[in-house]
Amino acid sequence: MTPAADIPLKEPTISAAASDAEQLERARIDASTRVPVLMFYASAMVWLLIGTLLAGFVSFTIHSPDWFSDASFLTWGRVRPVCINILVYGWGSMAAMGTAVWLMARLCRTTLRHPLLIVTGAWFWNVGVLIGVTAILLGYSTGYQWLEFPPYAALVLLVAYALIMSWAVLMFRFRRGDQIYITQWYLLGAFLWFPWLYAAAQAMLFVVPVQGVMQAAVGWWYENNLLFLWFGAIGLGTAYYMIPKVIGRPVYSYHLATIGFWTYALFSSWTGMQRGVDGPFPAWMITASIAATILTIIPVATVGLNHHMTMQGYFPVMRYSPTLRFTVFGAMSYTVFSVVGILISLRSTARYLHFTEAIVGYSHMGLYAFFTMIMFGSMYYIIPRLVGREWRYATLIKLHFWASAYGIGLMSLMLLTGGFVQGASQNDLSLSFIESTASVLPYLRGVTLAMVLLTVSHFIFAFHFGLMLFGLGRTSTVPTFLNPIEAEGSEPQL
Amino acid sequence: MKGLAPLFLGLFGTFAFSWIGLTVIPNIQIGGLNPQSDEEGSDTYPTPKSGMAERGRRVYAANGCVYCHSQQLRPDYAAADLDRVRDAGPSPRPKWGERRSAPRDYLFDRPVLLGHERMGPDLANLGKAAQAEEAAAPAAGSPTAAQSPPANAAAQKPAPVAASPAPTNPPAQASPASAQVAAANPPPSPSASPNPNGIPPAYSAAWHYRHLYSPRSTSRDNVDSTMPAYKFLFDKHPIGGERSADALQLTGRDAPPAGYEIVPTYDAKCLVAYLMSLDQSHPLKEVRGIAAAPAAAAPAGSPPAPAPPKK
Repeated sequence: MTPAADIPLKEPTISAAASDAEQLERARIDASTRVPVLMFYASAMVWLLIGTLLAGFVSFTIHSPDWFSDASFLTWGRVRPVCINILVYGWGSMAAMGTAVWLMARLCRTTLRHPLLIVTGAWFWNVGVLIGVTAILLGYSTGYQWLEFPPYAALVLLVAYALIMSWAVLMFRFRRGDQIYITQWYLLGAFLWFPWLYAAAQAMLFVVPVQGVMQAAVGWWYENNLLFLWFGAIGLGTAYYMIPKVIGRPVYSYHLATIGFWTYALFSSWTGMQRGVDGPFPAWMITASIAATILTIIPVATVGLNHHMTMQGYFPVMRYSPTLRFTVFGAMSYTVFSVVGILISLRSTARYLHFTEAIVGYSHMGLYAFFTMIMFGSMYYIIPRLVGREWRYATLIKLHFWASAYGIGLMSLMLLTGGFVQGASQNDLSLSFIESTASVLPYLRGVTLAMVLLTVSHFIFAFHFGLMLFGLGRTSTVPTFLNPIEAEGSEPQL
Repeated sequence: MKGLAPLFLGLFGTFAFSWIGLTVIPNIQIGGLNPQSDEEGSDTYPTPKSGMAERGRRVYAANGCVYCHSQQLRPDYAAADLDRVRDAGPSPRPKWGERRSAPRDYLFDRPVLLGHERMGPDLANLGKAAQAEEAAAPAAGSPTAAQSPPANAAAQKPAPVAASPAPTNPPAQASPASAQVAAANPPPSPSASPNPNGIPPAYSAAWHYRHLYSPRSTSRDNVDSTMPAYKFLFDKHPIGGERSADALQLTGRDAPPAGYEIVPTYDAKCLVAYLMSLDQSHPLKEVRGIAAAPAAAAPAGSPPAPAPPKK
C-alpha cells in the first residue's frame, strides 16, 4: 500500500468554490430529507435482519429437511419465498428508495417538500410487505417467483410507491440549474420503470391473466427487469454520485456515461427469457434475450471503463473511505455479475447450468455483491449527514466490509461451481437423479457458512446504525476513516 | 444532458420496446392457442383439470414445490432430459418423458409452474409414471382412480415397457398381457422389488402420500433426498372402530403410536390428485416426438404408432 503522504487526497473542486451559503444550503436540504430517509433506512435494516435470519434458516433446513414439518409456516417451501421477498421488497427496495430520495434532493438542489407524505408512503410500504409476507406464510402465495405476494398486498405497495415517488419526482419541478446529472438519469428511469413494470406484471398475471406459458414469460421478464432496471439502475446511479464525490474529481467522460446509460436501458430490459432456454416458448424470444444479454457487454464496458478512469490514481483512497470501499466493490461486482450473466446465458453453458443452483448464485451476485454493497456504501455516506454525528467505530466498518465481501464471494463461488457440478451430474445418465442432488449438497454447506459470515456482518452494521440513530455517534467535524490518515489536509467529503 | 423531454421520451421508449417486444407480441403469438383435436373433433388435448386437481395446484404453489421441481422437458438436442428415467419404479424405470414440452401443454395452467431449478426431478409427466399401477390396482384412497378413464392403458401403446410392473407385484398376475411383457424384459433391479416395509408401487397415489409424509422412507436410495416432509398435510386420528381406508401404511420411525392412524387431509388429496394429473404424453402436431424409438423395441403385435382412444 502506498504511504499515506503520497495519496492524492485533496480538496474537492466543488468545496473549494463553495461559499458558506452553499454549505448552509446543503445542510438545509439534508435536514429536509432527514425523517423520511432515516425512516426508509431503519425499516430496511429491520427487514434485512429478519431476512438474514430467515436466509440462514432456509440454508440450514435444506440439510435437515425433516425439521418443523408439522408446522406449515416453518417449511422450506414457504420460508424461502418469504425470505426472498423480504430481501427484495423489504430491504432492497426500501434502501434504494431512501438513497434515491436523498440523492434526488441533493442533485436537484432543492429541499424535499412534504416529507411527511413520503413517511406515510414508507409506512404503507412496510404494511404492504408485512401483508404479503403473512399471506405467503399462511399459504396464499401466488406461485410466481418474486411476485408471490397476493394482488392485494401488491396494491398496497403500488399505493405506497405512488405516495413516495410522486414527491420525489416533483422535486424536479423545483430543481435549480438545467444540467441533469448522470445519477438523475438512472434515478428517473428507475422511478418510471418500477411502477410500470410492477403494474404490468400484476395486470398480466392477475387482472387479465395471460394464457399458459405466457405467465412464465411475464414472470421472468418482471424478475430480470426488477433486477436491472430497478435495483441495478439505482445502484449504478448511486455509484455515479458517490465515486466522484468521495474522491473529489468529476466523472471521466460524459459521453461514455451517455452510451453506457442508453445501452443499459435498451439491452438489459430485453434480457430475462434466457431463463426459459429450450423451454416451451417460441425460440425467437429466447434467442432475442440471449442476444440482448450478450450485448449488455457494451454498457458493462463503458460504465466500468468510466468508473475505472475516474478512480485512476485514486484507488488508495479506498484504504480510508468506507463509502468508496463499498461502492467500488459494488461497481466492480457489476462487471463480474454481468460477465457471469453473459456466460451462463449461452446455450452451450445453459445445457449444464439451467435448472441448477448457479442461477440462484447469479441473482445473489446481482442483488448482493453489486446492489447491496453500493447501498451500504451510500448509507455510510448519507447517514452522518442526516444525524449530524460520525460513525463511531472504524473497526466495525472494516469488519462489516470484510464479512460481507468474503461472505458474498464464498456464496457466489459455491453456488456457481456447485451449480456446474449439479448440472453435469444431471446430464450424466449413468448417475441416478438423486445423485445430482447429492453432488451439490457439499457446496450448499459452503453456502450455509457464507450465510454465517453475512449474518455477522449485518448484525454489526445494524448495531452501528442503531448507535447513529440514537445519537451515539462521534461528534466531530472529521469523518470516520477506516485507517488513520497521517497526511495534513482534511477530506471533508468522505 | 439538457432538457427533460428527450430524457423522458428515451426512458419511456426503451421500456415500451421491451414490454411490447417480450410480453405483448409473444402474447399475440402464443397467448390464444386452442386445444388440439383430431379430424372428428374428438381426442381433445389438453383438457382442463378436475376441481380437486386445480385446488391441488394451489397447494403446490403455496408450499413452494416449484422452487425445486420443474415441469418442462427440454428437447433431446439441448439436454439429457428425454433420456433420463425416474429413480423409483419397476425396471425399466419410467422415463421423464417422450417428447419436449410445448406451449400448448400449458393452456389451462394458472398459475403455470414451469420451474427454474431441479433440486428434485422434473414432474411434467409424473402422472404418467403411475398409470400402469393405477390402472391395474387402484390404490386405497386414490382420488384419481375415478377420474382416470380405463382407456388410458390403450393410450400408452408407444411405451408398453413402462406398463410392466415387477413380476413379484401382485397386480401383475391380474394382467396376463403385462406379465408377458415383463417376461420379455430383463429382470428388475433389486430396488424395484416390493420393499419389505410395505412401500406402495412407485408413483401410485398411496406412494405419493407416503412420499409427502416421509420423503426419505420410500426407497433405500432416497436417503439423500432434500425434500422437506409435509407432515402438516396429514392428520393424526385415534382409530375409532374400523381403520380408515386411506390411512397411511407406516412402519418404523414414522409409524404413529398404537391406536392412532395418519390420514391425508383434503389438501393432501388435492395435491396428490394434481400430481397424478401431470401428463404431457399426448402427442402434439407441432412437436416431433421420439415415440417411434421405444415402439420399435415393443413386442410384435403392438401397434407401432400411438393409438388414441376413441370415445
